Parts: sequence; C-alpha cells; structure tokens
Amino acid sequence: MAITRADNQCRRLRTWLYTAMTRHWGAEAGWLQSHISSCPRCQRRLVSLGKVNLALSLMKARPHSLSLLMRANEQAIGVLKHGLRAEPQAARLKTTLPEPKLVERCGRYGHSVGHLAACVTVLLLMKIGVFSSMDTFQTEGQEIMRQYYARQVGQDLAEDVFPAQTKQSSSGNPRGVANV
Amino acid sequence: MFSKALSCELLWDAAVSGVVVGRQRWILSTMQKYGPELVTMLWRILGNEQDVCDAYQDTFLQLAHFEGGRKPDHVKAYVFRTANNIAVSMLRRRMAERNRLSGPIARTEATASPAIEVDSEYLQEALRRRIAKLPEHLRNVLALRDLAELSYAQVGRILGISPGTARVYRCKAIQLLAMWMSKEE
Repeated sequence: MAITRADNQCRRLRTWLYTAMTRHWGAEAGWLQSHISSCPRCQRRLVSLGKVNLALSLMKARPHSLSLLMRANEQAIGVLKHGLRAEPQAARLKTTLPEPKLVERCGRYGHSVGHLAACVTVLLLMKIGVFSSMDTFQTEGQEIMRQYYARQVGQDLAEDVFPAQTKQSSSGNPRGVANV
Repeated sequence: MFSKALSCELLWDAAVSGVVVGRQRWILSTMQKYGPELVTMLWRILGNEQDVCDAYQDTFLQLAHFEGGRKPDHVKAYVFRTANNIAVSMLRRRMAERNRLSGPIARTEATASPAIEVDSEYLQEALRRRIAKLPEHLRNVLALRDLAELSYAQVGRILGISPGTARVYRCKAIQLLAMWMSKEE
C-alpha cells in the first residue's frame, strides 16, 4: 500500500516536473521564441534541422512499386542453391506482394471497436445497477434538501421549491426518509 | 560395375544436397519474415529499384555463405546490418562515379540555385550523400530508426547498445546532418 502511494507520488511529481520543464524550457517557451526571432544563428540551425527532417519525411513518403519485393525475392532466390530454389516456399516468395501490418489493417476498425466497447460498458453498468443506484442517490439527496428547506424557511416554501418530491412523499415514502 | 558406382555417386549427391537444403531452409523463412522491411529500408537508402534488388541479393548471398552456411545467432541483426552496409557501399560508389563524371563547375551550379534547394529529389539526394558520410555507429542508428522504422529497443538489440544510447546517437546524427546541410549552403 505504501509502495503504491509512493509510486503515485512519483508519477505525479514526474508529470509536474515534465510540465514545468516544458513550460519553461520547451520549444514553446516565450523567451526561446523571442530569442529565435532575433538570432540569425539559431534561425539558420533551425532551418537546417527542418531541412533534414523534411528530407527524411520525403524519403519515407516516396513509395516503391508494388512488384519490387517480388522482383527482389526472385533475384535473391536465383543465386541460392538449386535445392532451395526448387522449394515450394521459394515459389511462394517469388509472387509475394507487400501487405500492410496487422496494426495498420485493424486501424480502420478502431472507431467501431471503441463504440462497441462504450456500448458494452454502458450495458454492464446498467446490469450491475450503477444507474439505478445513482437515481436513488439523486432522489434521496433532493429529499434531504427539501427537508432542510422545510426546516429553515418553512413547509410552504419548500413545497414551492420541490413540488415533485412533495407529491411523492405525500403519496408514500418508500425509502423511509423521515418527513419534518 | 561402372554403372553401379555412378548410381551410388548420384544417390550420394542427392542425399548431400537434400541435407544442405534442409539445413538452409531457414534462409527462405528469413526472407519471408524480414523481406518487406528490408526492401523498404533499402529503397529509402538507395532510391533506385535495381540497386535495391542488387543489395537485397547480396545480403542473402552473404547470409547463405555465413561461416559455411551456419545460421547466425541473431539473424535479424545480421540481415539488417549487412543490408545497411551493402546499401551504403553502393551509395558511396554511386557518388564517386557521379563526381568523376560531372565536373566541379557543374556541382557548384547545382547547389547555388535556391529553386533547386526546395526540390524534393535534390533534398533527398543531398541527404543520402550526407548519410553515406556519417560515422558508422551514427549511420546505423539513423538507418534502422528512421529508414527501417524500428523502435529504439529493436535498434539497440540489433546494434548491441542500450535504447538510450541509440537515442543519443540518433540525435547526434541529425545534428551532424543539419550542420553539413547548412555548411554547404
């Protein structure tokens, strides 16, 4: 228990430190922005860093032809031993096309899975009676408030403020809350 | 008698080749498992499809002849590092050839124009030239992390360093590349 509390404290402290450092030392910090706007050397460095990142992004964004994997496999298998070339797996590799990863394939179903999970959670909450308990809690809270008003400012005014509760309590008090 | 000897020899050859094939079947499995990632990395380093095929072929040829056909302990690390080294060697050869063919005047003209600087092809080629010049330890991390898109943990495992060291090397590589890019301007 003590360890868990210490862990939580550590986590809170880490988050707080990270936020504070980002605010004062991060790229968005005001003093840094004002310095960069007036320092040509920093501007040059940032421009060249941006250029490297841009070139890397361009390299990643440029696609190769769909048959490249197939051709590369075919060429590589061509220099392997005869027995390996005759394997059925080698024949399969010669016709393989690149396929998206499982995560990428499942990515488009992310929203649907999220909605489904939300529905299941709501159903589960209804099943275990969280909503009815909340309803009871709200009704009893309002009843207590009505009693408080009745005690402080009088029954007539309390009936004006909480007409529904008054009708309910006059028709019967199923929860056993004492009327004043 | 002669025909009996011949048939025995044939049988022996078939048995030996069968054993070798059985022993080296893992090469095909490796090709199936890491092939797509390797092709992507080689394509990003080289930017030319024929060069990619050649580098890929050389990688698997080296793998098949590793210590007389023995399977390396860490196949993924071996394959990625070999492919990376082969690709960079090809890139250097290509650069040297281009430098030899085009004179120094033509090169200075190509870098002087600001319109060329924003051209994506020019930017990519400029970065490739500089990646080939990086020290090996920085280049390996950059290639595996940014071009093969492996995680820092995977990069660390492949290169035998910690993920934190891989992060530091990547940061240094980017800084060095940026410095070289700004110097040439």
